[in-house]
Amino acid sequence: MSDVARKRTIKFDQSRKQKSGRGPNLKIAGQTAMTVKDLYKSYYKGKHEVPVLKGVSLSVQSGDFTAIVGQSGSGKSTLLHLLGTLDAPDSGEIHFEGSRIDSMSARQKERLRNREFGMIFQFYHLLPELTTIENVLVPKMVQDGFFKYLANKRKYKKRATELLEMVGLSHRLKHKPNQLSGGEMQRTAIARSLVSDPKILLADEPTGNLDSQNGREVMDTLDALRKHENLTVVMVTHDDRLAEKADRVIRLENGKVA
Amino acid sequence: MYKLLLSWRYLRTRFIALASIVSVTLGVATLIVVNSVMAGFVDQMKSRLHGILSDVEIAAPLLGEINYPEKHLEIVREVIGDDLENLTCVVRNPALLSFDFRGRQCTQQVMLLGIDDETFGKVTDFEPYLTSAIKKERFSFKLENEGHEAMFDEGGWDYRRRMIDNRERIRKWEEEQQNLYDVTAAGYFETVQEESEAKEEGFHLAPLPTQAPDLNTVHPADPPPNNSTSPESLTQHVPGSGHGGPKVYRMSPFDPGAEHRPPIDPETLFDPMKDQYTGIILGIAISQRKSQTPDGELRDVYMVRPGDDVQVMFPTVGMNARPVSENCTVVDFYSSNMHEYDASFAFMPLSELQQIRGMMDPLTNEGTISTIQIKLKPDADLNEVRDKLIAQFPPEHFTYDIRTWQDTQRPLLSAVSMELTILNILLFLIIAVAGFGILATFYMIVVEKTKDIGILKALGAPSRGVMSIFLSYGVSLGSVGTGAGILLGLLFVRYINQIADFVGMITGQEIFDPTIYYFSEIPTIISPFMIVWVGLGAILIAVLASVLPALRAARLHPVEALRYE
Repeated sequence: MSDVARKRTIKFDQSRKQKSGRGPNLKIAGQTAMTVKDLYKSYYKGKHEVPVLKGVSLSVQSGDFTAIVGQSGSGKSTLLHLLGTLDAPDSGEIHFEGSRIDSMSARQKERLRNREFGMIFQFYHLLPELTTIENVLVPKMVQDGFFKYLANKRKYKKRATELLEMVGLSHRLKHKPNQLSGGEMQRTAIARSLVSDPKILLADEPTGNLDSQNGREVMDTLDALRKHENLTVVMVTHDDRLAEKADRVIRLENGKVA
Repeated sequence: MYKLLLSWRYLRTRFIALASIVSVTLGVATLIVVNSVMAGFVDQMKSRLHGILSDVEIAAPLLGEINYPEKHLEIVREVIGDDLENLTCVVRNPALLSFDFRGRQCTQQVMLLGIDDETFGKVTDFEPYLTSAIKKERFSFKLENEGHEAMFDEGGWDYRRRMIDNRERIRKWEEEQQNLYDVTAAGYFETVQEESEAKEEGFHLAPLPTQAPDLNTVHPADPPPNNSTSPESLTQHVPGSGHGGPKVYRMSPFDPGAEHRPPIDPETLFDPMKDQYTGIILGIAISQRKSQTPDGELRDVYMVRPGDDVQVMFPTVGMNARPVSENCTVVDFYSSNMHEYDASFAFMPLSELQQIRGMMDPLTNEGTISTIQIKLKPDADLNEVRDKLIAQFPPEHFTYDIRTWQDTQRPLLSAVSMELTILNILLFLIIAVAGFGILATFYMIVVEKTKDIGILKALGAPSRGVMSIFLSYGVSLGSVGTGAGILLGLLFVRYINQIADFVGMITGQEIFDPTIYYFSEIPTIISPFMIVWVGLGAILIAVLASVLPALRAARLHPVEALRYE
């Protein structure tokens, strides 16, 4: 199946690059997309403080594929959650496109997660009650009110179908997640993360739950899409081989950038 | 959008939640059925309770009097003003009623009401409850020959004549028998008066009959040979007649005083074959007995029928009350299906009762009464009118008891309303229990959906949105359960009699015995107001039960939720 899938994956809509509002010209390579300053985060197990991040500072350049590599327990997932505003740091600052995001209100963070960030998880995290295309459309549903969504539904569906075609799932639109393979689920998750045209893609071990064949397919898809959509990607992985593809590798050891 | 989509999907994929809503459905259905049936019963009961009671009454104490009733009526009219529809005067007193049943004397206590046949029916629902079809139309205390068919196989004049004739035959036969053995009292002299009269006139006893009639030829079925008098010329004491009826003497053909007395016009003589005593209407249960046939069927036995004569005995008014007794002819029965009333009330014409009880004022020739019954306009406030009347006749100066019909029946009405309240509370508790079922189910669903909640939050869904998924889930489940419950309840109420029959058929036990409840079928009243309240209450309980799980869902931390496996 892999050869077929790969061929499908490569089949991009070339016109999209021109139509898209923000092309590569807006994202000047080398501009800083995200800056992290002196980030601390600890968890508490009962009374015991378990420090996870001990002063992490880094920056991510626009248009770059940045890989954050580290052993499990090095705090890379926590870092990604902090970058994605899913969690708040104990101290330190996170800036995204010039504005500080870790101190934003819950409402602003929700908006950020919904429109500016795309997220991919190790366990895909699809909603089991919804079909593939509905899962892809969830960020749009969250974004719009009832009537606005209904008014724009046709447009959104077109975009979602397009994205699913790009990830090679156009034949799986009406399937529920439990009818999909792991690779297909992850590719659905990738399509979902891209549906609201995010500026940055945060991926947490996207291949961690897949066999090498499927993992490679997913990575290829991700790479192709990244180039096609001109995305900034931050990927967390423990796999050095995956990190090889990245423009930049940040190694995390023991809660600090090595 | 995602909220509706997701709660719809959850609804469709989690039928176990529907099971938790079944208890809401059943609770709602039960509430509607119970309320409808109770409302039906209460309505029937109220109309029956109200039947013979006027809206408001001014009552003298038992055996007491209201003097100068005309003056009172004037004041009452003035006080009530526009709200007044009609009023009537009633004399009410306890009495003993005795009647003859198969030769035995039966005596019963009744509440005797002297009513004005013109106005009483306008104040109370009296006439519709009479058993005679004719009297329902045009009320009077006259015995009719027709109209009793609905209740009795026979009754009225024909029955009366037949019974008198029968009794006359038997009496004569007994007299014959008496003659055979007690020749000295051979039926020539019946009363002491006659005897003494006769003695004064120097009358000598007639010679004894020399030959006794042949015993073997006399049968009770045959009319005994009439040797001295014809039935037409006789005026008799009908068995059961007392001292109150027209005074009659049995006269001997050899009455020597006859020529000194004015000749008796047979037209003015009381002839039970043609004449009736004062008419009386009895509550049906006074003379009715229920008996069970061996097959288990209930059968009504009536000891008195229209056309029978009864005796009523009651005290006169005043300081030196003494019992008086009056013969009455039963002209009809009163059947309100309220056993309390049917077993105690007897009705007589007001003027007759006033005369007999000595209630006529010798100066004004106006009869005193014991109760003024008042009917008000339909929208009048009974309690307000009652209070006005109490202010007019304050208890400091008058002995009157002024009350509305609801005051009179307060113990029963308040018992029923308390029963209804408690039933409603209990049934709402059932729905509340169902609410806890929903709570538990929803909590489980939230736990099951923890990861989905985390996903939604990671995708930027606000806590409010996540909460509303579960709230709308609760609302839709509550609405579905309530809607089904209302439908089920209404269907049940609509076909309640068929259902009762069906259950009775299956179990062999009659669910609704009309002879006990006096209703031919289960009465129901569906109040839209009640249904709306029950529905809203049930939905509210479902929503309240889903608030807690929804809050928990909203509070979930996205990272924790995503980590949840």
